[in-house]
Amino acid sequence: MEYLIEFKEATYTYKSSFVDPVQALKQIDLRVKRGEFLAIIGPNGSGKSTLARHFNGLLTPTTGEVLIRGISTASSDPEQLKAIRRQVGMVFQNPDNQLISSIVEEDVAFGPENLGVPPKEIRRRVNHALAALNIFKYRRESISHLSEGQKQLVAIAGVLAMKPDCIVLDEPTALLDPFGRRQVLESLKKLNREEGIAVVFITHFMSEAVHFKRVAVMDQGEIKSDGPPDDIFTRTALLKAAGLDIPVSAQLAEELKGKGFPMAPGILHVEELVNSLCQLKSKI
Amino acid sequence: MELTKNLTLGIYFPGDTTLHCLDPRTKIAGTTGLITLLLFTNNYTAYTFFAAFALALILAAKIPLGFALRGLRPMLPFLAMMWLFQIFFQKPPGSEIIFSWWKLTATDGGLHMGTLMSIRVLLLFLLTTILTLTTSTVELTDGTEALLRPLQRLKVPAQELALTMVIALRFVPTLAEEAEKIIKAQTARGVDFGRGNFIQKIAQLFPVLLPLFINAFRRADEMITAMESRCYTGGTGRTKMKVLRMSKNDYYSWAVLLLFALMQIILIVKIAPPF
Ligand SMILES: Nc1ncnc2c1ncn2[C@@H]1O[C@H](COP(=O)(O)OP(=O)(O)OP(=O)(O)O)[C@@H](O)[C@H]1O
Ligand SMILES: [Mg+2]
Repeated sequence: MEYLIEFKEATYTYKSSFVDPVQALKQIDLRVKRGEFLAIIGPNGSGKSTLARHFNGLLTPTTGEVLIRGISTASSDPEQLKAIRRQVGMVFQNPDNQLISSIVEEDVAFGPENLGVPPKEIRRRVNHALAALNIFKYRRESISHLSEGQKQLVAIAGVLAMKPDCIVLDEPTALLDPFGRRQVLESLKKLNREEGIAVVFITHFMSEAVHFKRVAVMDQGEIKSDGPPDDIFTRTALLKAAGLDIPVSAQLAEELKGKGFPMAPGILHVEELVNSLCQLKSKI
Repeated sequence: MELTKNLTLGIYFPGDTTLHCLDPRTKIAGTTGLITLLLFTNNYTAYTFFAAFALALILAAKIPLGFALRGLRPMLPFLAMMWLFQIFFQKPPGSEIIFSWWKLTATDGGLHMGTLMSIRVLLLFLLTTILTLTTSTVELTDGTEALLRPLQRLKVPAQELALTMVIALRFVPTLAEEAEKIIKAQTARGVDFGRGNFIQKIAQLFPVLLPLFINAFRRADEMITAMESRCYTGGTGRTKMKVLRMSKNDYYSWAVLLLFALMQIILIVKIAPPF
């Protein structure tokens, strides 16, 4: 099967004349298939943003390569770079610094306008994107009247209107309140489920990563582990080494297991913990 | 200090009158034409006719008269100064002294020049106010871009200029909000805004403007990255979601404007200034 995105032994070093070079990525091997739902977690400075910027050629690897549907992001052809950026949409942390127009629907139209899509088709795509993110009723609204969470939904709609195969989001929820966070997460789940768009979600909130089908843990420029979340989060030693918080339910289950209680494997969510504890109780 | 509330830049008075619904190109080009005409107007009769036309536009746009005139208020002290200056220092040949005080003498010629000029400036601002009240900022930029597009062959970067305007307008509320936050933070640290002499007031601005500027550069940097990620590669090859189209009402408006311009020209040519 052809991969959508393929990192092949990619490394990246920041070089500047003022400070010593920093190797932010070391030997990254990462493959993303169509329709995947992937979270990347890691502590501050672990190289998450650097990695994100490799997905659409904002940065190109110092050594190794990054392929988007088999095409290298280091390609010098501007049309190919445009095609890559259409296929891999990017959403950043601060919605205020990525929205271009003061009116919601005008902003969503910005991407397709850059691609030279005919006006009627742009209108169709914009309406579809706004409806898919549940913000159609705000289409004529001024951006400054929206909440941070809604602004981030507008940013996602702007990417969606370019008809991407994959959306990469670099800590899109870091500046949002809990309600906004949930809105963004639910919307991404829906896009992944209903439109088959691959999602790469970068975060340092464990509580968000557990919603994904695949989780990669980054630390010091490397991907330390990569797999389904119940696998990852129960490997508490690894998470601790990366300086990440373990979900409370997983940690409690782990400690109980250490004391000799027969806990079910792969406990992540509170409900699973409760179920397992209830089974314990009925056995006694 | 509530910066965000007092911000009247590009105020738009929403409505669905014919004037609101005209193609922005008609409104921008029309206003430009009227302003040009205004610069040639030199007598009271023609100005009265002009003012009546402006009044008709305000009524047609269903804008409360007081609301439209309120925008002129901040200019009044400035205008009064200019008016007095003209009265006392302009002495066109053949004018008579009507009044003298200390070393100053006022002439009737100066009085007319001052009055005509004040009316001209007031009408000029009134016309632009009518334009911005009936046209949203988005329509304004779209219209400007469309009107400048023929100049693109002369290397005038119409699309880029319009996009710059769009982004600038987009950031007005964001930066105002940020300035407000900084002012509140500085007030909490004991800076007393609005107190002290002129120099002290200027000095108070620095701790507000400095972080604002530094943040603005960071924002601009992130904005460029976001625009690149959304496939922006400059003006060429772009399309627009909204295509401007002239309607029947636009053609009627052009007819009315031409008729008005014709009558104005007759008034300007036939009547000797100042009456
Ligand atoms: N422009 C730059 N020049 C030099 N070094 C940089 C630059 N940007 C990042 N770095 C360094 O590269 C490493 C990885 O940074 P990166 O921003 O990718 O991490 P991150 O995981 O996104 O962190 P955060 O959680 O703070 O967003 C860090 O050590 C950082 O100091
Ligand atoms: Mg980061």
